[in-house]
Amino acid sequence: MRLSRRQVLKSAALGAGALAVPRVLTHGAWAQARPIRLGGTLPLTGPFADTGVWVERGYRYWAEKVNRQGGLLGRPVEVTILDDASSVDRAVSLLERLITVDRVDLILGGYPGTAAAAQMALVERYRKVYISMGGHMASFRRGFKFSFGGPPLMGQWWYEGAWRWLSNIPKAQRPTRAAAITVNNPVGMSARESIQDGLKRLEIPLVMDELYDLPLASAEPLVSRARALGADMFLANGFFPDGVLTMRAMKALDYNPKVILQAIGTLIPEWVTQLGPDGDYVVSGTAIHHRLPYPGIAELNQVARERWNLKWAPLYFLFGYAWAQVLQQAVEAAKSLSHAVLVRYMRETTFKTIAGELRFDERGLPAPYEYATQVINGEVELIWPPGRRSAQPVYPKPPWRR
Amino acid sequence: MSRAVAAGLAVVLLIFPWVGTGEYPLALLYSTFMYVALAVAWNVIGGFAGYLSFGHAAFFGLGGYTTGFFLVRAGLSPFLTAPLGAAVAAAFAALAGYPCLRLRGPYFAVVTMILGLAVRAVVLNLPWTGAAEGLWMTLPPWEPIVARRAFYYAMLAVALVTVLAGRAVRLGKIGVGLEAIREDEEAAQSIGVPVVRLKMSALILSAGLTGLAGGIYAYDRSYIHPDFMFDLHLSVLAVLMALLGGRQSWAGPILGAVVVRLVDEALTVRVGTEAARIIFGLGLALVIVLLPDGVLPYLERLRWRAPRPPAAVPAAQARP
Amino acid sequence: MAQVLQALVTGLLTGSVYALLGAGFSLIWGVAHVINIVHPALAVGAAYAVYLLAARGVDPLASLAVVVPLFFLLGVGFYEGVIRPAARRGGDLVLVSMVLTFGLAAALENVLAAVWGPGPRVVNVAYTGRAVQLGVLALPITHLAGAGLATVTIAALYLFLHKTFPGKAVRAVWQNPEGAALCAINLRQVTSLTYGLAIASAGVAGVALALIYSFSPASHLMWLVFVFLVVIVGGVGSLVGVVVAGMLVGALTNLSTLVIPFAWAPFFLFASLGVLLLLRPTGLFRR
Repeated sequence: MRLSRRQVLKSAALGAGALAVPRVLTHGAWAQARPIRLGGTLPLTGPFADTGVWVERGYRYWAEKVNRQGGLLGRPVEVTILDDASSVDRAVSLLERLITVDRVDLILGGYPGTAAAAQMALVERYRKVYISMGGHMASFRRGFKFSFGGPPLMGQWWYEGAWRWLSNIPKAQRPTRAAAITVNNPVGMSARESIQDGLKRLEIPLVMDELYDLPLASAEPLVSRARALGADMFLANGFFPDGVLTMRAMKALDYNPKVILQAIGTLIPEWVTQLGPDGDYVVSGTAIHHRLPYPGIAELNQVARERWNLKWAPLYFLFGYAWAQVLQQAVEAAKSLSHAVLVRYMRETTFKTIAGELRFDERGLPAPYEYATQVINGEVELIWPPGRRSAQPVYPKPPWRR
Repeated sequence: MSRAVAAGLAVVLLIFPWVGTGEYPLALLYSTFMYVALAVAWNVIGGFAGYLSFGHAAFFGLGGYTTGFFLVRAGLSPFLTAPLGAAVAAAFAALAGYPCLRLRGPYFAVVTMILGLAVRAVVLNLPWTGAAEGLWMTLPPWEPIVARRAFYYAMLAVALVTVLAGRAVRLGKIGVGLEAIREDEEAAQSIGVPVVRLKMSALILSAGLTGLAGGIYAYDRSYIHPDFMFDLHLSVLAVLMALLGGRQSWAGPILGAVVVRLVDEALTVRVGTEAARIIFGLGLALVIVLLPDGVLPYLERLRWRAPRPPAAVPAAQARP
Repeated sequence: MAQVLQALVTGLLTGSVYALLGAGFSLIWGVAHVINIVHPALAVGAAYAVYLLAARGVDPLASLAVVVPLFFLLGVGFYEGVIRPAARRGGDLVLVSMVLTFGLAAALENVLAAVWGPGPRVVNVAYTGRAVQLGVLALPITHLAGAGLATVTIAALYLFLHKTFPGKAVRAVWQNPEGAALCAINLRQVTSLTYGLAIASAGVAGVALALIYSFSPASHLMWLVFVFLVVIVGGVGSLVGVVVAGMLVGALTNLSTLVIPFAWAPFFLFASLGVLLLLRPTGLFRR
């Protein structure tokens, strides 16, 4: 769907002028049943679009599949995604439009955390069930009744798997000094929260703990300081562009810590497809993984291969699909589209998703996840928990190839 | 605009929430009022005085964070603290304005841009502002439709105050002074125009009105973060709206804000994704090339070219 | 000490890339009174061209042979096809050009996104992530290449403006358009040439960006802020100014992090540039 739209866009870009692109996807031949309408906003243009388009693809593929299999409650589903152009203001305002003008039956979650957090405040007022990445732990401490992280993108949980993996390495071989650099926004700050605690458990002192604003223009000062402090563990809690700069600076300065943790950069396929070998061996966390044995994942991998020529389904594609899956199962359990009913079922149902089994607590959160991933030879492999391993972890990280 | 039309419009806007209007039309108008306020407020210093500020997001954000701070810390009603936000923004403008207003043209534009970025950088790093996590407020306690009406009237009031202030400045003595400053600051000074005082007043007024809008907006969002409260894009939007509508008159930015907000909405909803942004960008480019002084002066020329007594002159120009 | 040197030198190298991007922007502003918001977006467009060529095995430095002439023509076309017709319609050109090129930048960004998708791109070459060791200093080759491109391009622009007849004509136009016209300088030709050179330098800047940074359609917004900073702090129209300001921004950012927490580095940078502007209200080198 998106591909064909892109082709349309190309002709528009060539000067075809204004043309209405259908925003709504209709499938199936049951025109007689009124479709169930789902709506949400995503950043399809602007700085966050690289991720937003994958969440959209996840939602749309879910709808496609549901319609293929006879719909939801016997009715076809129809997905409307409005482009918030990476603006939180628009994300909130357009979601309000979807709720009150388009009167969508169900709501799909937004991205990134700031937009999701602001939308959580909105849906709470409209009493609509909202399943999304959430705005990290702070947003789930608000006592909201209608928001769920299904699964959440939770900075506070991100490195849990990595801590466990490291704690299983004999103490003599563990890193002895850690240096952290963190992007100064909700994602970075949430990931950083878990560092103090995790490192304390590992008894590794944090010798450098710096924050930086985006855009990062130069990573050399940060990296050279970490090297000078003799840190043999480096935590880069950042995004893709700053992640690229950081990795390259580490290579140029020939800084070889035993392990590199990188929070968010590895989550888009470009980390391996674009950055290549320089991105190898970084360790991160995840809530979903393309190598987990949960039903549905193999199919999504195949879709990613066929439609976008990727080896594996990208993480945000899986996230989008999982959020829609939770919504679907809530509706099926409740047999209702009433949000007052749905919200009750949200906390009573066990959801079987591509992220595993989820049960939501009072805060709207499932149990913390504890996966660790490592990029090995251009693949994002699962290295923790041991029973789920897709590859043996590489430790210590080999020196830079020259 | 004749008085009858203005009065009619006022009545329509006042009763609009009560004619079975749903939440979203109120939300859309609320947002439009906000941009009207931002564009008109910006125009007081940017258009009338010719001092192009690219830092108005700082005033907006300060207003919003003041509201958030007093709501969270003191439990004060944001409708009461919004004027406080205006005061903080105005006070900040009074402090920063004096040195900044010594700069002219592009140098002023960039120093205000720097100011906006610097304030953002500070708020992002202060723990008591919520820093990089953002600041959460308690949600407005009303049903959505009640909240929408309340915010509609609040922002309508902000827009109205701003427009009236902008109009009073433009048509009053200050407006003459500011115009003189815009055309030739040295000459204005030499004939006794109190240049510094006028510029400062214009900036402080502009900042205060912007902060007022920010204060209301923050409470409606209930969650604020420097990324969108101090967004450079917000500063740029205010400039675009004012320039597009016509910066010479008090009413031009109203038109610019309404048109940009509604066209943007229509494109987002009907076209979506990149095509919408491409059309928007090219449209912006085309309009400013065709109508370099903005849309309103063009409309006025059209209107006065129609068969009318030749002595009639557009209001904004009639009173110099 | 090694850290101070390392921070300073990489700061200067990064700063020279800002200067390279700022140079053409400053030139167009100085000569033609046009604020060319689309300038960094064009550089990002050049980075995509580099990416395409690199995928076919062309080294980014070799791709200059394509990028420079292409962007020169693009600059001439941009002037003849867009700016000149716009300027002839009247209005305050500085303001009109700002809105006009803002619109074009938004359109270009989304054309890039429509064609290549919104995701980031990275250009990898054999020397990416390698460094020249100079005593305690490690100088990344990509940064050196970027700084080299900046030096050559800005020096060429400088020599052109100061040593050649057409270049002197450009400067004459900039200082006094009417006077220059009286001296039989062809205003249109000279302005056209200026645009060609300035946009060609944006192309070179795109090559430098592609070597050092990842880029995506939206990354021009980040560069726009840097470009405004260095051009204004340096003084509109001054090549020397833009170089000094670029270096200053690069060095200040990197050095400040040695003494204050990194989180406060942007504030420190903005505050010092703000104070600098207040002390020199028309930039460092405005004549």
